Order: sequence, then structure tokens, then C-alpha cells
Amino acid sequence: MFRSAVRSVIASRGRFVLTGTSITLSVAFLVATLVLSDSMRGRAADDIAEALAGTDAVVQGVVLGESDGGPGELGGSVRRSLPADITERVAAVDGVTGAAPQWVGFAKLVVDGSSVGTGTASDVGRNWIVDPAVNPFRLTSGRPPTVPGEIVIDRAVAEEAGVTLGETVQVLTATGMHDATIAGIATFASADAAPLQRTVLMPDVAVPGWLDAAAPTEVLVRITDGADAAEVLGRLAASPDSEVTSGADHIASMQDAATSPLQFLTVFLLAFAVVAVLIGVTIIFNTFALTVARRRRESGLLRAIGAERRQVLGGVVVEALVIGVVATTLGLLCGVAGVGVLRWLVGLTGVTLITGPSIVSVTSMTVAACVGVGATLLSAWIPARRAAATPPIEALRDSAAEQRAVSRARTATGLGLAAVAVSGGAVAVLRTSTAWLGLVAALVPALVLCGPAIVTSAARWGAPVARRVAGVHGSIATGNLAASPRRASSTALALMLGTSMVTLFAIVASSLTGAVGADVRDGLRADLVITSATADFATIDPTLADRLASLPAVEVVGALAIAEGIEAGNPTAIGGIDASTLPSLFDLGLIAGDLDDMTSGGIAVVGSDASLLGTTVTVEFERSTLEAPIVAVVERSTGGFDAPAYFVDRRTLDAAVDGLLDALVFVNIRGSVTADAEEAVRAQVRATPGSFLATSAEHVANSGSEVDAFRNFIDGMLYLAGFIALLGVANTTALAINERAGEIGLLRAVGATRRELRRIVRLEAALLSFVAALVGITVAVGVGWALIDVAGGTDLPSVVVPWARLAVTLVVAVAAGVIAAAWPAHRASQVPVLEMISRDR
Amino acid sequence: MHTRPDSTLVDRLASSSLSGTDDAAAMLVGAVKRYGSGQAAVVALDDVTIAFPAGRFTAVMGPSGSGKSTMMHCAAGLDQLSAGQAFVGNTDLSSLDDRELTLLRRERIGFVFQAFNLIPTLTAVENICLPSTLAGRHPDAAVLDQVVSMLRLGDRLQHRPAELSGGQQQRVAVARALVTRPQVVFADEPTGNLDTHTGQEILGFLRSAVDQHRQSIVMVTHDPNAAAWADHVVFVVDGRVHEVVDRPSADAVLDVMKRLGR
Repeated sequence: MFRSAVRSVIASRGRFVLTGTSITLSVAFLVATLVLSDSMRGRAADDIAEALAGTDAVVQGVVLGESDGGPGELGGSVRRSLPADITERVAAVDGVTGAAPQWVGFAKLVVDGSSVGTGTASDVGRNWIVDPAVNPFRLTSGRPPTVPGEIVIDRAVAEEAGVTLGETVQVLTATGMHDATIAGIATFASADAAPLQRTVLMPDVAVPGWLDAAAPTEVLVRITDGADAAEVLGRLAASPDSEVTSGADHIASMQDAATSPLQFLTVFLLAFAVVAVLIGVTIIFNTFALTVARRRRESGLLRAIGAERRQVLGGVVVEALVIGVVATTLGLLCGVAGVGVLRWLVGLTGVTLITGPSIVSVTSMTVAACVGVGATLLSAWIPARRAAATPPIEALRDSAAEQRAVSRARTATGLGLAAVAVSGGAVAVLRTSTAWLGLVAALVPALVLCGPAIVTSAARWGAPVARRVAGVHGSIATGNLAASPRRASSTALALMLGTSMVTLFAIVASSLTGAVGADVRDGLRADLVITSATADFATIDPTLADRLASLPAVEVVGALAIAEGIEAGNPTAIGGIDASTLPSLFDLGLIAGDLDDMTSGGIAVVGSDASLLGTTVTVEFERSTLEAPIVAVVERSTGGFDAPAYFVDRRTLDAAVDGLLDALVFVNIRGSVTADAEEAVRAQVRATPGSFLATSAEHVANSGSEVDAFRNFIDGMLYLAGFIALLGVANTTALAINERAGEIGLLRAVGATRRELRRIVRLEAALLSFVAALVGITVAVGVGWALIDVAGGTDLPSVVVPWARLAVTLVVAVAAGVIAAAWPAHRASQVPVLEMISRDR
Repeated sequence: MHTRPDSTLVDRLASSSLSGTDDAAAMLVGAVKRYGSGQAAVVALDDVTIAFPAGRFTAVMGPSGSGKSTMMHCAAGLDQLSAGQAFVGNTDLSSLDDRELTLLRRERIGFVFQAFNLIPTLTAVENICLPSTLAGRHPDAAVLDQVVSMLRLGDRLQHRPAELSGGQQQRVAVARALVTRPQVVFADEPTGNLDTHTGQEILGFLRSAVDQHRQSIVMVTHDPNAAAWADHVVFVVDGRVHEVVDRPSADAVLDVMKRLGR
């Protein structure tokens, strides 16, 4: 049985190469995803554990609330700052041998006037800790920094910037630009960089001038050998203005903080992997359904002469096993190799995910291997069982073709499920409850069940159109679709899944862009806008605004700084801007109150509830607590992901939080904008690394562009999934052509040219792709709309459907379907006429 | 490329049993068809020269493996000769490329096969019109009416093959072969899958097409009763033309078959 199964695989190479490819790709995708997420999580966690191993305890400020983080931010908590004398106090505690203060602030490396590093990793400045036992960084070359102006940088930054020891560079910090010399290059434990950070290390003496910090961010503690750690921790915890964490707990929370920004990416990647596997399964299922149908007579004969059902079934299963094992093995190899490609794809978004080598774990290989072989076996077993269940005599009869009629019960069940899904979505939208949204998932089985009915009716409705457009070729093509609705629909399903994923992400992305962009579009009044290097971090030297204000061509300058604080236990972004300049630069859309009252310490809230006027808002910052009465309610914020929910006068914010850089600088030119005036501003901006000049039109256009970078990455994934779906189209088309050899031969005999034959096949694929893409897009638009409406919240206040993009998706899907059908069409047209006519006689 | 056979070929034809190249609907001249090579080579056609006269009904008979089907396939341009020439009218098929051959089949040849004659997804009338439609034309309405009424298909035109009986399906196939008024119709065991009565009916239709419209028909069969409907019966044995019987009766055909069987 095994030998005959292997022979059967070898005999029908073409068919199994396609099937095998789909399994290989699915498995490769899965492995790559697993390895990538292992490598992201595993390395970061290991690096942190290794780097912090020597630290027995950490003293930090009192927690005010949890930060909502952002991509690249190290999440964690917003804490009250420590008292200035904390280091001495900790060192004095009985049982503490070492207390090393760690200052952490913003510091960005600037080489030859341009800042180093793009993307979402944050730029961090730290003091170099002299005690090697608690210093997470290790020098690989050079020496520790000792005097202000000497720095050590991590190896990743050094490589990115292409700088070497002794080179003169600049460092941008909260206090402005500083000249510096590279004294050494270090690693974070054994990794090139700390997870998601670019680090500049400076001597303690440079800290007051550069990081503008009065007290350390944390104190790293070493406990005397032999002392009872728990007791020492207890003594440390006695201080009311600090909190203490054991080394192990600190490592755990740092690991969480480092990996949580990656979590969502892992979820995305896994979702794609699941889709890829689903598509692969559909393809395998189709192939085996067809080969089994073709061999029904053979198995009928076997049954008639006394083969048991199990024996007939066994052959198919062994065959599937052979393909599954070979293809999965290849898939595992390709997947590991493909991690490089994925890293490159992810890298396109500017995120450096992995700082070390990839981690290939036994678990991920096993999971992927089981999925690959298991999926192949399962999708072969179902049709094989169906075939083996057929009575021998019926199988021997000529009617090997798939039955044409679509089961009513199947369609009815599908429609029922669809109704459940739609009403679930409707209720969810009406009540704005996410719980009901779960019912929408019923759409997937609904589509699977309704697929054949959809294909049949599409073929019926499409027939007159196809006839008018493509004549008899169109009729034959639509007829072929209707003739095997189940096969057509399972092919379509793969494409449907692919297009609906594309659509869903396109809608979310465009709604996100729309949301981020709308405020800027509606509110921006300034002629010019200076932006930070990345939208998430403020990187503009605060002195730039003053320099611009002194330019004769400039009329008004307003610098916006944003600080994160905790309001009623929740993280909130507070914007600070000169209230007197604000109206001419950015129209926040006053609903109630008076923005001028901000100058006397009032706060403006973004919202719609005018009755909030007069109530007091309390925001806790690291070093202070801000209490301010609401003096204005405004309609919109200044745009961007972390757009402020409150505005105060810049002086109020600076008093509450120090060391702030500007996030945005708005500039109005005296009179109309001239090239000279713009050039004057541009010259200043160019001399200030970390700042970028945009005209008002450019700024409106750029708002939301950070979404686009992410979208590119998602697109890359989707093209991969789409490619697998197209393999499915190619595979099914090739199989269907095999099955219809007689018919094709007849067409050729009565005078259809090869070109006409190819045209028929292409038409069929085009129609199927069109229907699949249309259904996929329609469903995704509905789901996306409900999803954003219900779960979008303030981040996604309105649904923006990118119609043009969806139209392109539709066109691309159809075109790709036609391209996928090209090879089977070509093969069909090359088979000699006679061979077709005489086959299967 | 559309050349008449040269004079030596005409001489050879004249010496063959069926002569008269002027009114040949199709011809094979020195036709050789070999399958495989070397030791395993099988000669299916061994230097066959024969003309199928225009406006006549010719039956080709022979035992299994005699080469009668190969002969038809080569004469119809469905298969390539290893040597020699095949003509449809004045056209030398060996001079045509695949596309030209296809167009020739579409325009000048009609086909009726034993089974699987119709495209399952097209209605009866669409199947009948298929060769014309493929050529981007509508068949002559008068001819279509006449063929449809002759084959008594008027009430079946909008049905799909699956909704037709075997006989009706074969009538549709015959209508498709006749409706373009081709130079020659090749029928490969057209009654092989039918019961006697239905088979006779089909043969009657073919006969009347020859009688009423001077349609040339070449039919491969192994049934003496079917052959008896023809004007000539060509007997093929071991890839050669063995004998030609004119105005055959079923008995006369049977006699020849018995002799061949000896």
C-alpha cells in the first residue's frame, strides 16, 4: 500500500508539486512567525535577565499610575520622582553594600548634523554606572566616560552611525545640544543594544548639565553577602517616598515592559500564519477531493473485488502522509531561512525587533511540523472517507463528476449563521457593546457553507454578462463554474479570506490615518510647522522656538510640549503651549469658556461636554501635582497618536514638569509666506537636529503617515498570504482542466484555437476571483465598520473606507487570478487534441 | 500551400480502388503513421492512398487495431502523419500549422464522435452553433432551421446535454456537424453507444444529408448494418486498404468480414 501510494505521488508530480508548495509555504510562514516572535521575546527577556543579574534590589519612585506606552516606549509605570538624597539614604541602610544611582533621560546621538536612528526605538541617555556588578552595560572597546563631553554608546547605535572611538559627535538632550567624544562602545549584557532603545551613556558629572535631573530615576542596590535579603528589602521599603523591588521582580517587570510592545505584532503575525495555514488546507482539501473523485472508479473496482473500506482509505492517507512529510520538512527549512525575509519586512517599518541571532526552538518546529502534517492528513482524510463510503457499484458507474446541485440545507444553515452574525453586529453597533461583536465571527462558517450557493448564483447572474462580453467563451466559463460549485467555492474561500484581511486592515489603517489627520486638517492655522523626528517622541531643541521668534520674517511662534501624567488613575497626555499665540496658530475649536484664561493657570479640555467648565482637574506628574480649573472646552486636539487630551499654558506645564522638549513648533510668517521667509526658517531648522520643517499643506498630508509605515508591513504579509491563495487558484484550475480533458478535446476538435481555450480558462479564473474578492471586500467592509464603530473609541472616532484602495484590491485580485490561471491554461492548450478525446474512454 | 497533388500522385490514386481526385472531399496519399520507434514501433497506417469522394457516404470498416480510427484522425487533421499527405479538398494538411488546422476543422470539417460529443455547460442550440460561434459568426439561419427540423430537435434546443436522451444528444452532435455545411463530416462510431432503433435513425439522418444536400460523410464503424447505409465501404486491415465494396448490403459486408476473419 505504501509503495503504491508513493508511486502514485510520483506519477502525478505536477498536481502534488502544487499541493506540496502550498503546504510548504504555509508551514514556512508559520515557522517564520514562531521563530520571529520567539526571537523577539526570548532575546529581550534573556538580555534583560543577564544585564540586571547583579542587581539585588531597585529603589524607584512611588507609582502614580500605569503608562499607556506606545510603540517603542518601555511602558511600565509613571512614578513620582525620588528625593534628591535617595542614594545616600539607601546606602546608609543596614545590609546594603552598594547603591548606584541611575539617571535616565532623553539623549539622542547627532552625527554630522543629523540624528542617528529612525523608527520607534527610543533615544535614552543614562549615566555610566561605575560598579560593574550592577551596570547593565559592558564595555567592548574604549574606556568608561569620566568627564562631561565623554560618552559611551551602544554597539547598535555605533554601527548605525558608523562612528568609531575618539570621534567627535553631538548629543541632543533636554537641555540642548552638547558636543561629545566617543570614549567607548558597550553592549547591553551580550546584546548590541537594550531592547527597543538607543543608549548614550555619560559620566555622573555630566548628568546635571545634560539630563536636567535633580534626583536619580532609580537606585540599583547590592545587598551585603550573607545578609537576609528579605529583611534588607523590608528596611528599604520603610521609606515613604520610594518603593523597592527585588532584583527578580524588577527583571520580570522590565521583561514585560520590553516585550509588551511586541505582543501586538506577534498577534498580527500569528493571525497571518493562521490564514496562511487555512488557505493551505483549502488547497490540499481541493486537491485530494478531486484526485479521490477521479479515482472513484478505481476504488469502486477495488471495493468490488473485496478491498475493505479501510484499505481504500489507507492508500489515500499514506499518500497524504508522504506529501505532508516532504512538504512540511521543506517548509520548516524555508521558514527558518525566511525569518531573514520577515526581519527585513518588519525592518521596513523602522522597528528593530531583534538585536541578536534568531532563536529556533524545538517547540516552534514541533508545532509547525504537527500543523503541516496534521492539516495535510485531515484534508485528505475527509474526501477519502467520503469516497470510501460510496457503494462500489455506484462508484463503478460513470458519474464520477461532482454533483451539481447545492444542498439546500447547507445553504440554509449558512444563511442562518450569516443572519446571526449580521444581527450580532447590528446589536453591537446599537448598544456599543463589544460582547455582541463576537457573534460576527459566525460569518466565517457562514461563508464556508454558503460558498457553493454564492458561486452558483454568481455564475447564473454572470452568465448573460459573460455571454455579452465574451460570447460563447463566456458561457462556457460561467457554465464550468456552476458545474462544480463546491470546488469553486473552496478555491474562492482562500481568496475571500485573503481579500477580506487586506480590506479589514486597509479600513482600520485609513480610519486611523483619518482620525490622526482630521484634527490637523481642520485646526491647523500656522504657515509652517516644525515636527519631531518621530511622532511619538518630542525631539525638538527647546531653544529653536526662541531663535525662530527672533527672525524678522516670523510673526508668531508657538511651541507645543507634551507631558504624560496620571489623571484619575489613567495616563493622560497634557499639552503645553503659549495660550496667547495659540488662536492664530491652531484652532482647537472652542465650544465653551475662554482660552485666554489658560494664562492664569487654567486648563482646556478636549471634549464636547460644556458643563465641565469650572470643575478642577488633578494631574500627577513625576515631580509635582497639577491642579487646575477647567476654563475652556475645545473640540479638537493638535493631532497625532498621543495627542493631548488637555491643554495648559506652556509656563504652567514647564513649572510642573521639567526637561521637556518641544513636540511641535508652529510658525506664522509676517504677511504672506515668501520663499525667503521660508528659507530663513529652514536654515534654523536645518541647524537643529531632531527637527523637521513642513509647510501647513505638507503637515496635513504627513499627519497619519506613521500609520502608512505600519501599513506597508501589513501589506507585505498580506501579499504573502495572497500569493498562497493564488497558488490555490492555479492548483484548482489545473485540476479542473485535467478533469475536463474530454470537453477541452472536443472544443479543440470542433475548432476552438489554443488561444480561445486559454481565454475560457482565464475567464473562469477571473470570474471566480472577482466574486471571491467582491464577497471578501463586502464582508470586511461590514465587519470593519462594526468593529471600528464599536471598539474604535477615541483613537478611531469615525470609519474611513478607502474606496479607491478597495477598488485597486479588487482589480489586483482579478488580475492575479488571471495570472494564476495562465499556467494551467497554457498546459491545457498544449495537450494534443487526440490525447484529450481518447482519454478516459 | 494549397496545392493539388502532383501527377504521380494522381496516377497512384487512379490505380487505387477509389479514384477521381476532382471530386474527392478528402484524400490520403501514401499515408504512413507509425507509433513509437525502433523495436517497439507499431505501423498503424502502412502507405495508404485513398480518396473519399465528394457527395458520397463512405464507411470505413476493419477489425480492432486495423488502423481505421487512425486513418480517420489523420484524414481529419486531428493527428499528424509520419509520412505521406492528407488533403481536405485541395488543402494539404501537412502544410498547415496548429492554428490553421484548427480553423480548417472549424470551417470545413464536421465531427460526430461516439460519446462525449457535447459541451455539458452549453444548451443544445449553443452546441449546434459552437463551430460558427467560435469563428465569430452566426450560422446561416435557413440552414440551421432546416437541419434542426430534419433532426427533429425543435423542442429540445434550450435543453442542456444532461437533460437529453442518448439519441437526442447524438442528434444534436449530427446537427452541429452538418450546420456549417462542411466539406466533409467525419463520424467516429456515431451509433456505437445507441440502441439499434436510435442508431438506425441517426444513420437515416446522415443518409438523407448525403442524398438531399450532397454532403460528404466518412464514417468509421464496426457494425455491418451501419455500413450498409453507405455508398462505399472501405475495409482496412493491418493499416492497409484491403478491399472496397460499392453499394453494399449488410450481407455483402458480412461476407467480406467473414473472409477477413478467416
